[in-house]
Amino acid sequence: MSLKNGITNFLDSRYDMETAGGFLKKQLGKRLPPHTGWLHVFGSLSLFLFISQTITGILLLMYYRPTPDEAHKSIQFITAEVHFGWLYRQVHAWGASLMILMVVLHMIRTYFCGAYKKPRELTWVTGVFIFIVTITFGFTGYLLPWNQISFWATTVGTESANKVPYIGGWLRYFIRGGDVVTGETLSRFFVVHVIILPWLLTGLLVVHLFLMRATNLATLEPVDEEKPLEPKYGIPFFPVHVCKESVVVMLMIAVLVTLAVVSPWEIGEPANPLLTPEHIKPEWYFLPSYQLLKYFEGPYGAFMGIIACSVPFALLLFWPFLDRSKYRHPRQRPVAVSVGLIGLVGALILGTLGHFSETNQTFFGQRYHIDHYGRPHRLEGGVQSETVPGADSAHAPSGDAKPSH
Amino acid sequence: MSREDAPKSFNRRGFLEWIIAACSAITAAAMVVPGLLYLWPAAKGGKAEDVEVKGGENLKPGEHSTVQVRGKAVIVRRDPGGLAAYSAVCTHLGCLVKWDAGKEQFLCPCHAAVFNARGQVVSGPAPAPLPEYKVKDVGGKVYVST
Repeated sequence: MSLKNGITNFLDSRYDMETAGGFLKKQLGKRLPPHTGWLHVFGSLSLFLFISQTITGILLLMYYRPTPDEAHKSIQFITAEVHFGWLYRQVHAWGASLMILMVVLHMIRTYFCGAYKKPRELTWVTGVFIFIVTITFGFTGYLLPWNQISFWATTVGTESANKVPYIGGWLRYFIRGGDVVTGETLSRFFVVHVIILPWLLTGLLVVHLFLMRATNLATLEPVDEEKPLEPKYGIPFFPVHVCKESVVVMLMIAVLVTLAVVSPWEIGEPANPLLTPEHIKPEWYFLPSYQLLKYFEGPYGAFMGIIACSVPFALLLFWPFLDRSKYRHPRQRPVAVSVGLIGLVGALILGTLGHFSETNQTFFGQRYHIDHYGRPHRLEGGVQSETVPGADSAHAPSGDAKPSH
Repeated sequence: MSREDAPKSFNRRGFLEWIIAACSAITAAAMVVPGLLYLWPAAKGGKAEDVEVKGGENLKPGEHSTVQVRGKAVIVRRDPGGLAAYSAVCTHLGCLVKWDAGKEQFLCPCHAAVFNARGQVVSGPAPAPLPEYKVKDVGGKVYVST
């Protein structure tokens, strides 16, 4: 008796392998709608990057030490001493950004194809929670290298909680584990980043994938008018769509390794609680919120800013229940498509202003200082520090150096 | 009247199920409440007290120093008129302000908030002045109370 037969007999005599095999065969051979193509791979890429982040995260954990005295040194050790430590750290840092990008692209495709409509509303809602958890991964992981940028970005980020009326002080105290960012904050963020969020995201992904499989991918036909998929016209999940996914996953691995080599993240200076660096900025995915917050000033300004930053997330969460139109094709949904485009363009404009704010830039041969609010001020040979409070030529950077991660 | 026909409120099985459900909820709450309290940060603050500023005795008129007093960042400045101490934490989003001796202003490097020498807001997004702390010179040594 061969080893394979031996294992099969062992399992068959103990479990209902016929049912299990039938389930697996049904899932692999599931037919997808004929229009399923390359735009339907962003979800799989997000899943791949989550797996990549989990594996590289576990490898980093072998050497990382979450204390103020050792965190930064352990990152240096991983990068300089551990075999391929630099590679896993870079792939993890770039993977974080790319995972958020893939989730965003997946959501954009789903939104503009109207795939969130009945009967897939809950698939969308779990997707929005996955998006929020993915961003929270970015926020909590950012502090772990315990360098200047990560320390002060976390200080500013957690200070926002203090602007919530009545409970703001308690909220900030709870998130930080004290009045200011300290080792207690590092411990909290570490536990949230490596234990709580991974399991939360795993649970959400299981529900998301189950719902997606239960209702199959959406077509562009109106709600309640979707025709049953005829097997001979559907695209087999395996091998056709899996082949597409394999191609993009291999491309993604190539992109990750290339970025790790040609554009590595700096380790940065160790955190100094007594020195705030000039013009700290958050990661690209927080830039729209960062810039929007600047336009709300006064005693309740920051709170109003937090409300303004929360509205897009609330809209995303409840959108399947607000958009009552039965059509899915973008041409038949002018309102939803306009709202989506306004949101996207608004985020891009705010992100761009945030990126260039408080820097000096050259446009058409003329030097400008881009102020706090993103307004350009023409320069005559140098930064006009008298008219631009807080900016001086020694401190206003010409561009953004990529901080450490 | 058969057991099935008896009103639910007098059903022994239903009553026991209700008791078990209530006990389970109480047990769960009894486990959750200590867990939540455990997550609340252990207080390390305590009452305000005078803390000696290291190197404070070396501050000359016009000089300043940013120090940590009981975990809080404080700017101590010695002026011709005496000592002054302000929180170095910008009231906008928590970055540390710097003393610009030339302009005699506190500047926030993050979002360009500007405060005057007494910690009052001059310009920028800061919603409130910098808190001032009590500071005193005892035999050349500087003490701050936060």
